[in-house]
Order: sequence, then structure tokens, then C-alpha cells
Amino acid sequence: MAKDRLEAGRGRRAEVVRKSKAKSKTPFYAAIAVIAVAGIGALAYVASRPKNVATTVDAPAIAAGEAQGYLLGKVDAPVQVIEFADFECPACGQFATLAEPDIRKRLIEPGTISYRFYDYPLPMHKNTWAASNAAACADEQGKFWEMHDQLFNAQDQWNGQATSRPKSKFLEYAKALGMDANKWEACFDAKKYEPRIKANEQMATKRGASQTPTFVIGNKMVGGAISYDHFKALVDSALALAKSDSTKPASGGDTGRSASVPAKGPGGR
Amino acid sequence: MTKRMIVGTLALIGVFVSTYLTLYKLGYIGTLQCAVGSCETVNTSRWATFLGMPVAAWGLGFYVVSLALAFTSIQERYADSRTMAVALAVLTGWGTLFSGWLTYLELFVIHAICMWCVISACIVLVMFLVSIAELRDFRPEAA
Repeated sequence: MAKDRLEAGRGRRAEVVRKSKAKSKTPFYAAIAVIAVAGIGALAYVASRPKNVATTVDAPAIAAGEAQGYLLGKVDAPVQVIEFADFECPACGQFATLAEPDIRKRLIEPGTISYRFYDYPLPMHKNTWAASNAAACADEQGKFWEMHDQLFNAQDQWNGQATSRPKSKFLEYAKALGMDANKWEACFDAKKYEPRIKANEQMATKRGASQTPTFVIGNKMVGGAISYDHFKALVDSALALAKSDSTKPASGGDTGRSASVPAKGPGGR
Repeated sequence: MTKRMIVGTLALIGVFVSTYLTLYKLGYIGTLQCAVGSCETVNTSRWATFLGMPVAAWGLGFYVVSLALAFTSIQERYADSRTMAVALAVLTGWGTLFSGWLTYLELFVIHAICMWCVISACIVLVMFLVSIAELRDFRPEAA
């Protein structure tokens, strides 16, 4: 083929010009069209499927207790934000590691928003209940957010594809975070907080959260690992609404209804 | 089909593979269809993000640029341009190196293989080989 195409002047520097035979582009465009249609169709199909399909693990058969989120920031902040998240969900991990540090620094620490985390363990994740349990037991020692960060930072170490026995990893984290390991382990083994996790899950369902993470910011609900800018825009909108109508709190939560806010939140960091 | 058209066709397939992984990473898709390997382990690892963006999104950018370049290069004006051939070879060569690094991480650091990542790596490799073959067409004939 090279011979046909090559046009090198004899004795000249190996000039790199070739003369292509005119080839029909029709087969190429036909292939492109077929691949484009198939690809768009396949992506539309997978994106439209329900995300919370049960595949491997059923939630523990336990009675729900009282829903209780984990608070970060001032309880009386002008905008209240709720997150429904699954510790094993990759998008939640992405949000927690990419956007959440900025949110804490720029919105929670200055007191603009209060932030509550509610467990929303999805059935397709094998170790998410154990992770929620581990975080709840860390909360008992005032280390929920530290454990929360550690779980999301190291999802690949303990998720259902990495291990079927995540407890040893969680225990390792508990020790590294300076907790009383015996106390934490006793709490974890007793599954003491499963009724609360169950209640948090039910609250997420009741609020219509269809994916993780889902955020309720003011009067808006948004799903997915949104960026800091997107999050901030929603907070600004809720703030504006709160200012324009000071009689209505810009509450995103069920704090006065089904969710009880722990009076002693770990506070902004 | 010319070699450049083959590169373009592969780039389009790569666009869809990387879009799928990007949508997953952004939370628009619940679980990855992963017949072989541990896609979630790989895509939730710390290595799945590069310079603040999902690696899949970088891949998507790479494939879109490759597709645009391949489309441009088959136009009459550039059909015999060696510069275009060089550009394709350099671009896909860079993509191959990056994919190679990611595959190394999967095998020796994360210890898990993501089927879609392997498919993408194969696509990039074939694009590179075809681009090199295309570039060789410009070599002078032996006297």
C-alpha cells in the first residue's frame, strides 16, 4: 500500500507526500452512524434503569427505630442541608472526597449551613450496613465524622468487592482514630444502631431519594455527586429564599418531624 | 476504510466506553455491568481520579480529541498530510502510555481489574498501532 501512495522525488530528501486514491467515505460514515446509534441507545438504557436494584444483600430484618442524622455545623444555621448517602456508593465517596472538604470549609465552618448525614444503605452493596454500623459506633465516641471520612477515603479497602469481612478494616480505622477499640467492637458486634440506620433508610425512601447521594438543600432536592459550585448555587438560592421570607425557615430537613437532630453534634471542623 | 477511518471508528467506540464509566463515576448509573473483574473496586479507588477529575472523564476528552482529529484528517485537504499522521501517532501514543500506567496500577497497586478499563486500553493500543502503520506509509521507498 505504501508503494502505491508514496511519491518520493528521486534523489530528493525523502519527501513525505503521498497521493491518496480517492476512497469512498460512505462505509466509514455508515459505521460511525451505527456505532453512534448503538452507543447512545445503550447509554440511555443503562442511565434510565432504576439504580437501587436489589441483587445480593437484603437489609437486616429489624424494626426501625427513630431516624437520626449526624450533625455538622451550627444547628441554627440559616440553611439546613440533609444528605442521604451510602458509605459503599462510589458517587458518595466521590462527593465526600472532592466536594465535601470545600463545603465544610466555606459553608459549614462560617455557619452558613448545617449539615446532616443520614444513612441510605442500598441493597446492592454488601458491606454498607456494616459501614453504617461502624460509623454509628464511632459516633458513640464522638468520632462519627472522622470515621465517615475514613470510610469514604478508603472505600476500596473494605467494600463488597474487596472483602466479605470488613470488620477488621473498620477496627483498624477505629484504633487509628483514637477510639476505645474494645468499646467500639462491642458496639459493632451488638449491631446496636441498626434500628436507627433502618429508620434513616426509611426516611430517605419517604423523602423520595432515588439515588445516592441525594441532598435536600432548602426546598430543593438534588441527586448525584454534585460539584461544590452546584452545591453552593443551591445554598445561595435557599439563602435568598430565607431572606426574602424570614417567616419561613429555609429548612431542608425533617428536623421538626421524623428526624431528631442530635443536640451534641460534633460541630464544624 | 483507510487507517485514519479505523482510528476514528475506534475513537467513537472509546467515547461511549469512557462516557459509560464517567456517568458511573458521577453517580448517574447505579452499578457497572462488569462480567469480568472488579469494576467497582477500580473505579472507587483513589486512582480513579486524576487532577481532581475522574480518570474516565480524561479518557472521554482523549477520545473526543482523537475522533475530531481523525475526522479532520480524512478531509480532502488533509488526506495526504503527514502532519496529521504524526499528530495521530503522538496523541494515541500518549494515550497508550497513560493507559499502560493505569493498567499497571490495576494489576500491581489496586490488585483488581476493571473490564471496561481493559477494553479502553485495548482500543487505545489498537488506535496507536494503526496510527503507526499509517505513519509508516509516509516513509520513502528504498531506492
